[in-house]
Amino acid sequence: MDYNAQLKLQAFLDGELPKAEASEMASLVTRDREAAALLEELRNTDKVLAGFEGGIELPESRDFFWSKVQREIQRLEAPAPKFAPASLLARWRRLLVPASALALVLVTVVVLIQPVGQFGRTSAADIETALADAGAFTYRDYEAGTTLVWLSYPADNEGAESDEMGTFE
Amino acid sequence: MAAFEELVARHRDKIYARAYSMMRNEEEAIDLSQEAWVKGWQRLAQFQGDSSFGTWMTRIVINLCLDQLRKQKRQRTESIEAMDAESGGVERQMPVITVNPTAGLERGELRQRIDRALGQLSYEHRTVLVLHEFEEMEYKQIAKTMECSIGTVMSRLFYARRKLAALLADLKKLDSV
Repeated sequence: MDYNAQLKLQAFLDGELPKAEASEMASLVTRDREAAALLEELRNTDKVLAGFEGGIELPESRDFFWSKVQREIQRLEAPAPKFAPASLLARWRRLLVPASALALVLVTVVVLIQPVGQFGRTSAADIETALADAGAFTYRDYEAGTTLVWLSYPADNEGAESDEMGTFE
Repeated sequence: MAAFEELVARHRDKIYARAYSMMRNEEEAIDLSQEAWVKGWQRLAQFQGDSSFGTWMTRIVINLCLDQLRKQKRQRTESIEAMDAESGGVERQMPVITVNPTAGLERGELRQRIDRALGQLSYEHRTVLVLHEFEEMEYKQIAKTMECSIGTVMSRLFYARRKLAALLADLKKLDSV
C-alpha cells in the first residue's frame, strides 16, 4: 500500500471520502490483509482515546476556581481611575514650569549671541578697575581711544576736613 | 453573574480537560481554562446558540491553547523527530500493531498510559488528534483552526495515530518486563 492509499484508508475510517471512493476502499479492505490490519490499528487507537478526557477533572474546588474567575472579571470591568480636576495652583505651576524654562533658554541665547561691543568692554574694564582699587573708577572708550580714571579716596576728603591728618602739614 | 457561575460549575471540567489534553501541563491548563471563562463572560453577548454553550466555550479554550502553543514553539527549537514527522515518511515504516495494546487494562491504568503517550507527541500531532478525536472536527475545520492545508491535517493525523499505537505497544512491553 502506498502512502496515498494509507491516507485514503484513514479518510475512509473518518467518513471523509465521497461515496464512490468509500466503496472502493471498502472492497480494498476485504481483499487486502495489510489494508485490513492498518484499518484495525487505526480503529483501535480511536477506541482507546474515546472517553479519555471524561476522567480529567479540574484540580481546584468549585468555589476557589470561581472566585479566581470572578475576581478577574471584576478587575477587567472596573472603570479606569479618573484623574481629579487640577487645582488652580497646580494649573499655574503646569504653565509656569515650561514658561520659566523657555525664559531661561531665551536669556541664555541672548547672552551667548550678544556681540562683544563697546558696552561690554567698558563694563569689564570698570569692574577690573573697581576690583583692583575700591576708590578708583575707570571709563574706557575704545572707539574714541579715551580712558578716563576717577579717583575717589576717602583720605582726600578726610585730609581736607581734618586737621589731625598729618600728611599735608 | 450567578447564572454564569452555574455555567462555570457545569462545564469547568470539560474545559479544563480540553486545555490539559492540548497543553500537557496542569498549571497552564488551569490558567488557560480560567482565561477562557473570563473571555466567555466578555463575549457572552456574541453567543448565538448555534452550538451548545459547552461547545462554544471549548472553541474559546482551544484557540487560547493554540495561541499559547504557537508562542512556546517560537521559543524552542524543533525536535529532530518532529521535523522528520513533518516531512513525512516515518509512519510509513512503522509495523502495524495487530494486537490491541491496551486490552485488559484498568481504566486508571489505561488513562495513565494514554497520558504518557500523548505527552510524547509533538504539539502539532497532538492538537490534530485532540481536535479530531475529542472535538470531533472534520479535516476542513481542523485545517482552518490550525491554519494549514487539509493534506497536512491528514498526514499529521495519520502520523499521530500510528505513533500513538506504537507508543502504547512500547509502554505495554516496558510494563510487562
